[in-house]
Order: sequence, then C-alpha cells, then structure tokens
Amino acid sequence: MRAPWRRHTAVQREAATASNILVLALLTLLTACAGVTTPPPDRAATELVAVPFFPQAEYQCGPAALATVLVHSGVTTTPEALAPEVYLPDRLGSLQLELRASARRAGRIPFTLPVGPEALLAELEAGNPVLVLQNLGLRSLPRWHYAVVIGFEPAQQRIILRSGTERRRLERWSRFMASWERAGFWGLVIPQPGKLPASGSAEHTARELARQEAQLEPAVARAGWERALVRWPGEADILFATANVRRAQGDPHGAAALYRRLLFTAPEHLAGRNNFADLLLSASCPVAAAAVLPPTAEFVAGHPPPIRDTITLTAADIASQLATNPDDPAHCRELAGDLP
Amino acid sequence: MLNTRLVVLLQILALLVASTVGTAQAAVIGTADHFAQQSRNEQLGVIDAALTRDTVQQQMVAMGVSHADAMARIGALSDAELQQLAQNIETLPAGSSALGVLGALFLVLLVLEIVGVTNVFTKL
Repeated sequence: MRAPWRRHTAVQREAATASNILVLALLTLLTACAGVTTPPPDRAATELVAVPFFPQAEYQCGPAALATVLVHSGVTTTPEALAPEVYLPDRLGSLQLELRASARRAGRIPFTLPVGPEALLAELEAGNPVLVLQNLGLRSLPRWHYAVVIGFEPAQQRIILRSGTERRRLERWSRFMASWERAGFWGLVIPQPGKLPASGSAEHTARELARQEAQLEPAVARAGWERALVRWPGEADILFATANVRRAQGDPHGAAALYRRLLFTAPEHLAGRNNFADLLLSASCPVAAAAVLPPTAEFVAGHPPPIRDTITLTAADIASQLATNPDDPAHCRELAGDLP
Repeated sequence: MLNTRLVVLLQILALLVASTVGTAQAAVIGTADHFAQQSRNEQLGVIDAALTRDTVQQQMVAMGVSHADAMARIGALSDAELQQLAQNIETLPAGSSALGVLGALFLVLLVLEIVGVTNVFTKL
C-alpha cells in the first residue's frame, strides 16, 4: 500500500531512474566478481577436527587465526600473547608480513602458499590448516579478514573454517573463493618443526626459506633446509643453501660433501664454487681451492658487483695462500674429493 | 637534545658493527644474496637498512604500538619486509574483523533507502 503523500513527480522519477542504473551497475559488479571462481577440484572430503579454536575479540582476527595455526604446530600460545606482536591499533588489524614475523619468533617457519585453490586442498589433505586472508568487501571497498581453513566438503561444495567467533563456519566454495581471490589467494602454512608444506615446488619452497633464513633460529633454519634437501636431493640451490648452513654451524665436512654433490650436478654454479673454495682455503687447502675456482676474469663478467667482488676476493686469497704453501696437506684430499 | 645525539651515536656504532661483521665473511656468498640476485626486485641497498628500521619503528609507535613492542617487532623483520612496511604501512591489507561487513552492508542499504529504491526501514 502506497502512502498518499508519495506521489511521483518528475524529479522523483529521475532519481528513481538514476538509482536503478546504480543498482544495475552494482549487480553487474557482483556478477563480475562471481565469475572468477573455479569449480572445486576433484578431491576427497577432509576436516581437521583437531585444530584448536580461539574466538576472536574485536578486530583481533589476526592474533586469533595465528594462535590457531601456531598451537596446531605445537607452540604454546594464545591470541592475547600474540596481539602485542602483530596488532596495529591505528589500522584496527594485523598485517600479513607481521603474522609471518611472529611465527618466526615462535620458532616456526611460515610458508606462503603458491597462488590458487590446488595448493589449499593439497595442504588440507596433508593435515595442514591454512591461514587465509579474505576480502569480505568489494575490491574498491575492502574488508580484510583472517580465518583458518580446516576442511573441504566436495559433495556440498563447501569450505570449513575457524573464523571470527564461529568454531565451524561453512562457506560456499564459490563465495569463499571469490573473497579469497580478492585477497590475492594469500594463504599461510606453519608446519610442525622439521616439516615442510605439502604444496610448493622446490623453487618456491627454497625461496621462502632463503628469504626468511636470517630471521630464523640457526637450528630451525638448518632443519628447514635439511628437510628440503631430503625431498629434493638433486636441486642445485637447495644443495648450495644446505651446504652454507652446515658450514655456518660448524660442520665443514658435511658442507664439503654437499658442495661436491652440487658441483657434480651443476658445474656452472659459481656461488657454490666460490663458497667451496672459501671453505677449502679456511682448511689450508689452496691447491684444492684453486681447482674449484679457476682464476679467470671472464668467468665472473656477467654477475652483479657484490657477487663479482666476493669471487675476486676469494681468488686473491687463493693466490696469496698458494704463494706461501704450494702443496696441500694430506687432509685436503678427503675434503675436496674428486672434483669434476 | 642529548637523546637525539645518543641515538645518532648508537646508530653509527650499529652501522660500524654491521659493516665489520660483513667483511669478516666477505669471501662467502650468502644464501639470501644468491637468491636475491636471481630475482632483482629483492635487492636492497645496504645503507638503507638502518634508516628504514628507524622509519618503521617511528611509524609503529605513531600507530599505537609501545616502544618496546615496536623494537621487538622490527627485530623480527627482514630488510625486504621492513622496506615494504616503510612504504606501505598505511595501505597494506590489515585483516581485522568480519563484523565490519555488516557496517558496509548497512551503509549500502541506507543509501538505497534514501534514494528511494528500497523500503526496508520505512516498513518497519
């Protein structure tokens, strides 16, 4: 029933047309957003029921979601304890890179997932809950929210989350994917010590480790690299990084074994040659070092200045040591092995 | 005044210590450097690091974090992360609350109501 005073004047009609256009535009926008979702991949149903739940206090979904995955990885903590590490009062929220930093402070290695739903489902299948960033608003009016994905129901096409104040929140696959896509498909896995995420190529995993190594406890960093080496034994950069971390932690023989393997698989690995030569020099083996790092200038030409300078320095060290002791002692043979 | 001088002095000291540590291992190519060399966008100027640290700490304190917490938080960040924060701390996504969505929805409904498209509130 229409109120008698509500008559359509020309002005009102114009306003109505304008608002109709607005609604149409909004609807188009919404359908455009929904269009990006992909159908759920063919995977088994999973629910990680053992993942703990911390209902979030106001604006505190960052600490709550982080506590959820950290406790699952064996850390003893609470959202209240994590808030001073990640919450930014003026932003009324937490930043992604500070969640990563906080996980490192707890002695864990956080891994950002490769983009897309495949990685998410692979992690769930491997028993790893995934901390995700969602944009619950629009692209132009974002509402950022952290939640933890703990399960997937392929039959009902639903995702199961620990989110906000809901212990078991069910979201339609398409709706979740749209909100996750608007947040760049950002997902974080924090595995138990000595474990790695199930998804992620050798290259992706190695990059994540290398980026964060300086901010990790030395033992934690080493465990991460050693684990990566077990999974990808022939990967040049993982051999290189694991050799470096072994040497830095006082295991020159273990390091030398890996540098040798590296130079067999990738003879062109210049950084590996340099570091192996440096190791041999510190063990007073200049002859072996010279064999590892031939003194050629064109060798280093294509490399950026810091790398070039380091190699030039090593070459100079080799030359000066060779001048004083032209013969290697017996123990060098074992350290250098048979070089390619 | 004295405080500022003390801070400057400490920074110089920190820079000196950092550079000596650097030369002690100059003949080794670090894992991070090796990977950064492969993806150029991760390369950072060494001189910027101390300055960036300072900038981010001030930003954090200005945004309501305590001095002690800000120090600890900065210590846990890599140079690349610090650089990112220094440039984008105001705009990076800050995940907060699902409740805010209701606010946005309410706003849209209210606008539609005022323009006369819906009658949600008048019929109540």
